[in-house]
Amino acid sequence: MKIFITKSSKFEPLIFIFSFLLLVLFLFIFLTLSNMIFGQIFDDLQGLIEAAENRAVVSSIFLSLYAGFLATLLALFLGVPAGYILARFDFPGKRLVESIIDVPVVVPHTVAGIALLTVFGSRGLIGGPLEGYIRFSDALPGIVLAMLFVSLPYLANSAREGFKSVDPRLENAARSLGAPLWKAFLFITLPLSARHILIGSVMTWARAISEFGAVVLIAYYPMIGPTLIYDRFLSYGLSASRPIAVLLILVTLSIFIIIRVLSAGWSIYDRD
Amino acid sequence: MEIKPGIFKLISVLLILVMFAGLGCVGDQGENESTDSMENASGNAAAGEGETLTVFHAGSLSIPFEELEAEFEAQHPGVDVQREAAGSAQSIRKITELGKNADVLASADYALIPSMMTPEYADWSAAFARNQMILAYTNESKYGKEINGNNWYDILRRPDVRFGFSNPNDDPAGYRSQMVTVLAESYYNDSQIYDDLILNNTGITFTTQENGTALVQVPASEEIAPNPDKIMLRSMEVELSSALETGEIDYLYIYRSVAEQHGFRYVELPPEIDLSSLDYADNYSKVQVQMVNGEVVTGSPIVYGVTIPKNAENPELAAEFVKLLLEEPGQQIFIENGQPPIVPAIAEGKDKMPEELLSLLE
Repeated sequence: MKIFITKSSKFEPLIFIFSFLLLVLFLFIFLTLSNMIFGQIFDDLQGLIEAAENRAVVSSIFLSLYAGFLATLLALFLGVPAGYILARFDFPGKRLVESIIDVPVVVPHTVAGIALLTVFGSRGLIGGPLEGYIRFSDALPGIVLAMLFVSLPYLANSAREGFKSVDPRLENAARSLGAPLWKAFLFITLPLSARHILIGSVMTWARAISEFGAVVLIAYYPMIGPTLIYDRFLSYGLSASRPIAVLLILVTLSIFIIIRVLSAGWSIYDRD
Repeated sequence: MEIKPGIFKLISVLLILVMFAGLGCVGDQGENESTDSMENASGNAAAGEGETLTVFHAGSLSIPFEELEAEFEAQHPGVDVQREAAGSAQSIRKITELGKNADVLASADYALIPSMMTPEYADWSAAFARNQMILAYTNESKYGKEINGNNWYDILRRPDVRFGFSNPNDDPAGYRSQMVTVLAESYYNDSQIYDDLILNNTGITFTTQENGTALVQVPASEEIAPNPDKIMLRSMEVELSSALETGEIDYLYIYRSVAEQHGFRYVELPPEIDLSSLDYADNYSKVQVQMVNGEVVTGSPIVYGVTIPKNAENPELAAEFVKLLLEEPGQQIFIENGQPPIVPAIAEGKDKMPEELLSLLE
């Protein structure tokens, strides 16, 4: 309503075209997914219920969420400090560092998986010396690692953008009043960029859950949701894999909606 | 002076964009020119402008089919051959379940075409090449210097050796690995080989049936859950070859062709158990594998099969591709890649086949 009042009755073609394109974008995603989800619910609700009751299905979906969560925690631990440095300081080779951080987004996932296996495999550069202490291939650490590799850029980038959006003068003001840098960071900068970091974390988590190509190379077992979906497709066909896919989508979709609702009014300091 | 760097950046970005756009145009032009000259040079009706030929094939056929593609595209300028490699069963399911269109389908197990596609999706198939199960390894593999056709199962038993095979539910190479290992028990007269190597390390089970044939039962993939210290399992052989290359596993049950194409060293197994020879077909049939979907496969010589699915969008061009595959140049490619061709090819459902192929059959 507000828009119509402020713009009075003037017809804006730009707004019309953009709204139309938004509709196209929405329908593209919505039709593709809803066709699958409603197809499953109306044609084969029984299959969906059976999938939801199947222990292997439930544990694989849980593992996806759990491993994705661990990867997101690690990404927060690494990505937030990295984002701060990249936002506040210039140093030689910064562009190169930023570009390299983006590379996991564009590398084909199979290639990422092979690279990870080469380094973290039981005879790899890092996996070799660690053999006997921690096992990456066909184990949870390998899954988390693969998820971390492909999703880390989302967190590092959104944290960097978040910190960039905070005026450094606010930090300086706090410091001039006697706060040490860590205090200024913790109580001024971090809360002001919290929404950026939250959105980055959700993206990171989502990306981690959806990862398949890199994970399957380093860890086929224990099976995450996407691996089980792929495997059921190979062994039985589409009708066996679709209920699991739909279930995974429904579970993640509800989690995203909950996060968005909870965080809708969430900002510790109002910047306006 | 202050504006200059900005303008410079803008220009360079534009230049890059123009270059990309330009590349696309140049590519198109090249193709158009070649089709133009093609129309004059040859009266070949099937080779039209900008046509695509979609080929679904087993992963183990990737390299010979890549060479066939090059040969075919050279003979038919303007035709773009698009290949999709996947497990054989998966390739077939892409057609039967996902409703994708393929002009040519080639499977690593000849028997899958009649069992999964006939009569709805295909009505003939031709067996055109053979292969053999071997044990691949590299210079880095543990005990690689000692292993041979008589002691391989003892080396695989050693606790510090890891080996791999593909998922029997998904990939013929996977269930064939089971067959080879079961057959090894009677050949080497050691009834513990299959137990020690596979049964004790996975959820796979084994029974001997009343008629004396061995039956390997493969549970749901998540229940195979192999002991990660001993066995690496993946749904596709490609994933395992990279594991062998990185030293993640020491040995890999795989086709001889794959080992040759990847430059792996390999142990040749006796022909009585390696599923390569039509002479030992009776011996191979003494083992069966039941997959989780209930399907039972009986040991048989490894034979590649090809068909033109009924939903082919370009059946005439597909027939030409199959012709090239079965003719002299195709045979030569398969010899070089360690997959000896079957000459002449053996067909099922001959009366439904394109006429131009009939002369190449038995």
